[in-house]
Amino acid sequence: MRETYSVILPKMGLGELTGRLIVIEGTDGVGRSTQIKLLRPWLEQQGHAVLDTGIKRSQLAARGIQQAKEGHTLGRITLSLFYATDFADRLENEIVPALRAGFVVLTDRYIYSLMARAIVRGLDPAWLHKVHSFALKPDATFYLRIGVDDLIPRVVFSTGFDYWESGMDLYPSDDMYESFRRYQTALLAQFDAMAQEYDFTVIDASPDIHTVFERLRTGISRVLKGEPREPLFAVPAPEVAVHPTDNGEVAAAGKTKRPAAEK
Amino acid sequence: MKRYGEHRFPGKLFVVEGIDGSGKSTQLMLLHQWLQAEGYGVIFSEWNSSPLVRDTTRRGKKKQMLTPATFSLLHATDFADRMEHNILPLLKAGAVVLCDRYIYTAFARDVVRGMDRKWVRELYSFAVKPTAAFYFRVPLEVAMKRILLGRSGVKFYEAGMDLGLNEDPEQSFHIFQGKILEEYESMIAEFDLTTVDATLPIEEQQAQMRQIVKAKLTQAKRLRVAP
Repeated sequence: MRETYSVILPKMGLGELTGRLIVIEGTDGVGRSTQIKLLRPWLEQQGHAVLDTGIKRSQLAARGIQQAKEGHTLGRITLSLFYATDFADRLENEIVPALRAGFVVLTDRYIYSLMARAIVRGLDPAWLHKVHSFALKPDATFYLRIGVDDLIPRVVFSTGFDYWESGMDLYPSDDMYESFRRYQTALLAQFDAMAQEYDFTVIDASPDIHTVFERLRTGISRVLKGEPREPLFAVPAPEVAVHPTDNGEVAAAGKTKRPAAEK
Repeated sequence: MKRYGEHRFPGKLFVVEGIDGSGKSTQLMLLHQWLQAEGYGVIFSEWNSSPLVRDTTRRGKKKQMLTPATFSLLHATDFADRMEHNILPLLKAGAVVLCDRYIYTAFARDVVRGMDRKWVRELYSFAVKPTAAFYFRVPLEVAMKRILLGRSGVKFYEAGMDLGLNEDPEQSFHIFQGKILEEYESMIAEFDLTTVDATLPIEEQQAQMRQIVKAKLTQAKRLRVAP
């Protein structure tokens, strides 16, 4: 039977959720949405009904988050909870009904991104873990892993540096490149630290689109056939990134131990 | 990120809690007037009033698209915004902050809506522990009479209509408030709430409140901003 990370929301009916929940994780600009665009028709050709969803796409909160991010008074706890609201709305109104109907749900990011971004911004990992503990455990999480040096050219030649993706709220600077580098390095360290705890399947995202797509297909096919998942690549030891907490103190990423996800 | 009970600020935080119709807002207004007249720097913050979240909440309520989970998280977002931008900085600056409803409102309502009791408490663990939290204790029937006489009707979520307790809004409201009352009662000991008998004359309740607040403020004379 499907499980959550601990708390069960009212009227979830976990026993009826027969579809497959597949998460594509990874940092900004790594190519998640490109891959999902390729995966969807591939899955549909094989006869699977697919729902694709992603952060900040809820009926309820998407607009509000966008407006809040355009202002200049958005606190870190507030931002994190606003995203959790968006996630809960999509979980209950999109993901759960699709799983109940037997769909393959492909989600562009999941609670891991929400937690990683908030931890880098100094929020308490144990608190974040509990707040998001109503999330369903996915059937698989594919983590598109990339080093910051490989990431930068992709971002430069696609969307350019975005205020939030460069952590400008966290590292205000005239130099967006430097902010982006610092922020993404800290974020990648958080993803790496989560890879083991949350049982990510790590996929090296530095090769070209088609190679990554090939690897994702192999991994997803295994999940859909119910074959055991093996990490395609070992996760390197987490780098230690330094980030400020909300008190301006400096804490090391991964230093605070999150309570292990209940297996 | 500091947790409940860990904050130490020069300012003071007083909150009022109780079911609808308990008279808590009236009491807080009277306290506010008095503190201002005494020369304190007073700030008032009301539940569910963050401008950042207002449009989303309004939309969710109007279209009745809120579930217990999103109802809970959206109110926590609202509270976090007021905490981060209003309550915390002002307490640091030494103000007297007055809150009409606080985290205990969420604990009562969200748990009645079926959310996990421990999860809701954890959700709000970033909140500052109040200097004193006044709970206006009133029998359900008294509160119902006050509310239903003064209003044309109760709103969908206010009446707990989302829970499907009863098709009649007034009946639903009655059942819902009764359950909330039970939650409040169980929180008196858990959070050391200061209970005020809300059936007493208004003046008497206010006198009790002022006495308690005054005792907490004597240790903080420097909060006075005017002669």
